[in-house]
Amino acid sequence: MHHMKKILFLFACALLLVACSSNNEGSKGTDGSTNAGADKGASSNSSSSDELVIAVNENFISMDPHNTGDTNSNAVQAAMLEGLLGFDNDGKITKVLAEDYSVSEDALEYTFKLRQGVKFHDGEAFNAEAVKVNIERITNDEKLRLYSRGFNLIKSVEILNEYEIKVTLTEPYGPMITRFGVAKMISPKHIKENLEEIPKVPVGTGPYKFVEWVQGDHLTMERFDEYWDGNDRVAKVTFKPVPENGSRVAMLKTGEAHAIYPVPAQNMPELESNSDVKVTTVPSTIARYVSLNTFKEPLNNEKVRQALNYAVNKEAFIKVVNSGLGTQLDSIIPSKTVYYKQQTSFAYDVEKAKALLAEAGYPDGFEIEIWGNTNSDTMKGMQFIQQQLAPIGVKVDIKSMEEGTLSDEIYGAQTPEEAKLMMWYVSWSSYASDVTNATKPLFHSTSFPPNSANTAYYNNPMADKLMDEANSTSDQAKQAELYAQLQEEVYADAPWIFLGVDEIVYGVRSNVSGVEVGPGGAISVQNAKID
Amino acid sequence: MLKFVVRRVIEIIPILIIVSMLTFLFIHLIPGDPARLVAGKDATMEEVENVRHELGLDKPIVVQYVDYMKKLVTGDLGTSLTTSLPVIDMFKSRFMPSIYLTFLSMIWATIIGLLIGVVSAVFKNKWPDYLGMVTAVSGISLPGFWLGLLLIQLFSVQLGWLPTGGIDSFKSYILPSLTLGAGIMSMIARFTRSSLLETMQADFIRTSRAKGLAERTVIFGHALRNSLISVVTIAGLQFGFLLGGSVVVETVFSFPGMGRLLIDSISFRDYPVIQSAILLFAVEFIIVNLIVDILYKVLNPKIQLNS
Repeated sequence: MHHMKKILFLFACALLLVACSSNNEGSKGTDGSTNAGADKGASSNSSSSDELVIAVNENFISMDPHNTGDTNSNAVQAAMLEGLLGFDNDGKITKVLAEDYSVSEDALEYTFKLRQGVKFHDGEAFNAEAVKVNIERITNDEKLRLYSRGFNLIKSVEILNEYEIKVTLTEPYGPMITRFGVAKMISPKHIKENLEEIPKVPVGTGPYKFVEWVQGDHLTMERFDEYWDGNDRVAKVTFKPVPENGSRVAMLKTGEAHAIYPVPAQNMPELESNSDVKVTTVPSTIARYVSLNTFKEPLNNEKVRQALNYAVNKEAFIKVVNSGLGTQLDSIIPSKTVYYKQQTSFAYDVEKAKALLAEAGYPDGFEIEIWGNTNSDTMKGMQFIQQQLAPIGVKVDIKSMEEGTLSDEIYGAQTPEEAKLMMWYVSWSSYASDVTNATKPLFHSTSFPPNSANTAYYNNPMADKLMDEANSTSDQAKQAELYAQLQEEVYADAPWIFLGVDEIVYGVRSNVSGVEVGPGGAISVQNAKID
Repeated sequence: MLKFVVRRVIEIIPILIIVSMLTFLFIHLIPGDPARLVAGKDATMEEVENVRHELGLDKPIVVQYVDYMKKLVTGDLGTSLTTSLPVIDMFKSRFMPSIYLTFLSMIWATIIGLLIGVVSAVFKNKWPDYLGMVTAVSGISLPGFWLGLLLIQLFSVQLGWLPTGGIDSFKSYILPSLTLGAGIMSMIARFTRSSLLETMQADFIRTSRAKGLAERTVIFGHALRNSLISVVTIAGLQFGFLLGGSVVVETVFSFPGMGRLLIDSISFRDYPVIQSAILLFAVEFIIVNLIVDILYKVLNPKIQLNS
């Protein structure tokens, strides 16, 4: 009996040691199998210097360039697929597979002169026929996202010669040029023979060709040696979705990732002081605002809407809610968007706000609901608005809803009368080159929910006219003038509480060059190198 | 025994039909319009209607269910609304990692948990007991995301021994399984201790001692075996839950498992993926339950398996 106790005791001691340090035990077990033990951050050894690893915050959803709605899928595709046109790091239109292009004066005919000597990854030649197959794929399939974004307006695609093609629209469509940048070219053979594979396997003309995609874990691509620019770049690129902020930062620190996007604001100081890493900040095309239902009392009164704008301290908003990352939204579109024109913003002035409310007949303020999703940043933003509006007597009731439910509540209203939405804390982003998408869905009277996203129910015939006119011309000087007028007109009406424009932050290891993130969150690896 | 197993397997079929009907009904009852979520927030009404038609969401719900079941019988789980990929493809890359992670976590958690439980019971109210229970309480109270990030900071960032996540090698599974198993180990330890202590009060233990059996035989041969029933129950339940994936651990370790897939699908209202994932979890749970029932019988032959 005594003996037994002794054995048990020894056993217990050993066990507890193991249990308490079971973490050590686990790692020691593998320690022997690597030579990395003493070397700090040695896991970077596992990826050799010719493989670039990029960690992003969300999963990629589809590799079908004609049916992609999320930024991360776009970012990954951009390294493998190219369009006739493309976007530089400022979001401006560039020529990619088209050497040159022209648009007819009536904005109906687009003629492209194609780059010669370009090959798809499967060896197919890139020519006018390939472009035609791609455009027709989109115009024939209304399920594809791009179909209803301009391509349904295509009347004809005409091959002028092997390297020249003309696309004719049935009616003018301002963002069409942007769409030719978004619509990336897939190998015609792939379209004809493997239609079902397209969401999984991208075959394009880009500097990298697809290797494998393990859903939820990684997507790998390797250098395409027959790429038309002939430049040198890193041999392999792997994209990984890493949703947890802390884990993504840890990967950059250990060298497991060479670049991460986005860098969480709270980790910026820590990474900035780390000499192995450089952190870059870029203004984005993401506008943050609170849309105000201009159809219903009390927000149908312009003075009330202006008062709300005066009552919010935008600088404090950027500091408190956006961790100091951002600039004021001083027009109806972000500063990176084409034709942006700065407006005189509603400077923070509580007294003026109170006076305006009194003039509007609400000297004691009112009660109102603000809606938003359940994201913690949104919650913080809504609480900020609540706190800012309290001093002028406006009591804000926060109602946060899960995204799908929220969308149902907002788009379920068939008419402005039915709408229950009063204030919506939300953001909007569109391609920097696509001013139409940055204005029409938000301010045109034909865009009321459920039709589109004019959740301010903003109804101004003058603004409608400006947008329609700008949309039907290809004259850029004319467009600039019309959009300048539009910005002035709408901003003064204050259909939103104009808050801020986000900044994009990404981090790259110091030995890596050529990895850049554009204002729309597109990650460019075309010139990436590791020293 | 064989008859029992065969009957239980046959019983799975009606259960699955009921589960499929309930999930189909309930996920269509959640507010949120998948057509709009798929079409994107800048979509026009016309685009949303196009998408709805293409996805077959404009048909009556009964027709949708019958269509779904018809396909299911032939082994076709349908196509994801968001990715346009076959659901089965989306599961393929995530199912096995989830299984490995579950087994790895369960194995270490059960072994260590049982040992701590036994030691604590044998040394009741002495320091090994206190130490064991402090370990168990800590394991159960540490939030997974916190423990996970702490482990990453220590073993990946500071020491550089283990990767921060992914599934590239066996090493990638170590930190997630430690994080996932910590709570289960603690639970098993506590259950083993209390159940063993209770059994030790039983008459048959007094009898065995009176017979002059060695204490070792009394504990391991008689007491522990009888205490394991409740431990097997709790371990089986945990096992079933783990098979469903753990969102927290999968998120912290960028682990491509079933949990995150389900959560992402719910936020997109990706009906076919949600539906199939829940069915899969139901099957897994039923299998685990069956194994638990068989283990009862092994542990205590007196238990009748025909109920």
